[in-house]
Amino acid sequence: MPEYKGMKQAVRASEEDLRKIHMIPVPDDQKADEALKYLDEMRKKFRSFVTAMESCVKCGLCAENCHTYLGTRDPNNIPAGRADLVRKIYRRYFTPEGRWFGKLVGAEDISLDVIEEWYTYFYQCNECRRCAVVCPFGLDTCEVTMVMRQILHWLGMVPKLHAHVGHAMELTGNHTGLPKPGLVDTLEFLSEEIKDEFGVDVPFPVDKPDSDILYIPSSADFLLNPYTLMGAAMFFHYIGANWTIPSTMAEAGNFGLLFDQQATQRGNVMRLLDAAEKLGVKKIVWGECGHGWRAAKMYIPTLADRPVRWPITHLHDETSYYVQTGQLKLDPGKNNRPVTLHDPCNYGRACGLAENLRITLNACVPDFREMTLNREKNFCCGGGSAILFDDPEMYQLRIKFSQKKADQVRETGVGNNGDGVLCAPCSICKAQLYPMVEEHKLGVEVKGLIDLLGRALVWN
Amino acid sequence: MTFFIGQVLPYVTVVIFTLGILYRLWRWAMARIVHNITLSPFPQSNAQVAGIYAGEIVLFRNVFLFDKGLWIGAWPMHVALGSVIGGHVVGIYFLGKQFTYIGLSEHLSEQMSALLGTVFGLIMFAGLLYLLYRRLAIDSVRKISVPGDYLHLLLLLGIVSVGNFMRLFPAYGLEYGPAREYITGLVTLHPVPIPDNPLFIIHFLLVQVLLIVFPFSKLMHLFGMFANRWIMNRVYLDPAPGLPGVDLSKGVPVVRAVSEGGVTSAGV
Ligand code: HEM
Ligand code: SF4
Ligand code: SF4
Repeated sequence: MPEYKGMKQAVRASEEDLRKIHMIPVPDDQKADEALKYLDEMRKKFRSFVTAMESCVKCGLCAENCHTYLGTRDPNNIPAGRADLVRKIYRRYFTPEGRWFGKLVGAEDISLDVIEEWYTYFYQCNECRRCAVVCPFGLDTCEVTMVMRQILHWLGMVPKLHAHVGHAMELTGNHTGLPKPGLVDTLEFLSEEIKDEFGVDVPFPVDKPDSDILYIPSSADFLLNPYTLMGAAMFFHYIGANWTIPSTMAEAGNFGLLFDQQATQRGNVMRLLDAAEKLGVKKIVWGECGHGWRAAKMYIPTLADRPVRWPITHLHDETSYYVQTGQLKLDPGKNNRPVTLHDPCNYGRACGLAENLRITLNACVPDFREMTLNREKNFCCGGGSAILFDDPEMYQLRIKFSQKKADQVRETGVGNNGDGVLCAPCSICKAQLYPMVEEHKLGVEVKGLIDLLGRALVWN
Repeated sequence: MTFFIGQVLPYVTVVIFTLGILYRLWRWAMARIVHNITLSPFPQSNAQVAGIYAGEIVLFRNVFLFDKGLWIGAWPMHVALGSVIGGHVVGIYFLGKQFTYIGLSEHLSEQMSALLGTVFGLIMFAGLLYLLYRRLAIDSVRKISVPGDYLHLLLLLGIVSVGNFMRLFPAYGLEYGPAREYITGLVTLHPVPIPDNPLFIIHFLLVQVLLIVFPFSKLMHLFGMFANRWIMNRVYLDPAPGLPGVDLSKGVPVVRAVSEGGVTSAGV
């Protein structure tokens, strides 16, 4: 269990892990100087970072609105407090008031301790952006976290989890590290499952040339959320779509967004564009992955190095369209359990995907109950930005981060009889919530939204 | 000393205040909006964007929605602050006779001016005191506070206290007339001696201190709010839904599409 002066930290990528993601770690005695250099670069580049640094009034409104603070009561998890960890350095080196009146404005000299604080607390932020929604000025601590994780990456301080995923993506085109034969085997198996359970023959076209639609699933769906992948295939098959999954990019997620928004994130974007170009598709449809959808919808336009010729939409922008126009025959009775919806943060606050989820969900289930505080006001599941660390101490933190979510689910009463459904259409939410609904004894099963749609489809 | 405070410092203050703010704004402008990070639900028109700005500026909508306890102090304090600043400009320029324009007699107008000034001054004082109390009493707020956060409140409290005292005890106060004469001198670059009233001199000096620290402090939130919302609240129009090659007008094509199942793959 790594710890630095009492601060619990996520297990770090080793030097060998770092080399695999093309990073040369900076030796401890040079970290402070290098950090200042990188910070200078980032503050000159990101206006969202500078405004967050320079216009916070410390009103503290964000404190009770961040689930990480609610769960831990650690002042460094108050959004403004988290930003302060770098604001004190920013002030000291990059503002006149910090240089001349450091004590008054809380400026501090940089040191290895401060950098270790960064590593600790910028990896305790879920990048959920609830702070940006509530702040009177819209100051976005998620932007601060993203800038700081970039700097930490350049210093060679990345969690092992994130580095591994970055490397797996580069090797195989998906986060689970499945090579093409593995993908195909799994899909064959899922096809048989569909046949057994729903009585229909549904193929999973892989790398099919001249497809109309390129479907980008989350690779977690291959192993952890099979019904999500099955549901998507059933939907495409049902509407008679000419679709395919690219084996070189069987991954809706993009961990670049979470630790390296430059080389890593851009590399994954180029991989997608290559796949789309090679298979001659007309439209790209994104699977259930929150951060991945944000990375695709909002970041591809500024990261792609060539014109993007394909419209990119989310699976549920499409399902809701076909539901709304009455083109799907659905029997909600097939999902006859009380259901509540967890709005993935990236959908609700960064991608404008909230109403469409409800359109689809309401058509698929008979008893849908909203959580109190939903859509863009929803609380994060505690897994956001993939801080899904499994070592015991960090796991304890995850339980605390999900406390607010647990309270919200309990309030809806869907789990009262132990047969509720918590619909969470995002891979990271699912990965966090599978164990958390057990930890908090919520009496619900976690499912994706397309899982429910797949089950509700009426065939004949 | 009064010569410095009254006839030299004001010019230094104005220069630092203006250049300081320009320096800060220039720094913000040099950094870019690198990615599209507009918050959803996305505004669909610029009118909606303007609505967001207006709600936050006029009503402190977010503060109201998410922290009513803060709103009770913050909103009245800022409204009073705005009114007091406006009142100073108008009151001194029209010598308190501004309300004759809405039909009051000169005497009534002066009384109205005095009354409003007193009321807003007291609201502001109470609001600031409450914000200071809150900063000390609420654990999370105290923990993110640095000395500067308290000093701002104390400085404003100082300015407001002296101002209120002069209002409530006119014997120690200053008439609009001499104030206007003095300010006119400053504005026309023919500074005349500052009225010989110790409280007024202190009031005036503290305001100058506030303006000097303004560009180097969190008071820049006045501009920061616009700079940041400019990034966060933008129009975004979604691409149209509907999948290419899908035609359900003749019913669900499923029966036709049932295949032998399994995986079709070009490569395997
Ligand atoms: C459009 C203009 C402005 C808006 C929308 C605005 C909004 C806000 C908001 C939302 C807060 C946080 C709540 C609070 O702590 O009270 C705040 C704090 C504050 N504002 Fe403003 N403000 C504006 C202009 C000003 C100006 C011109 C000043 C002063 C000269 C000022 C002084 C302060 C102070 C001192 C605080 C901190 C209060 C504390 O320490 O708790 N504001 N402002
Ligand atoms: S809500 Fe905004 S202004 Fe207030 S403390 Fe948090 S980040 Fe700063
Ligand atoms: S992004 Fe979410 S987790 Fe991070 S500081 Fe803001 S509210 Fe807290």
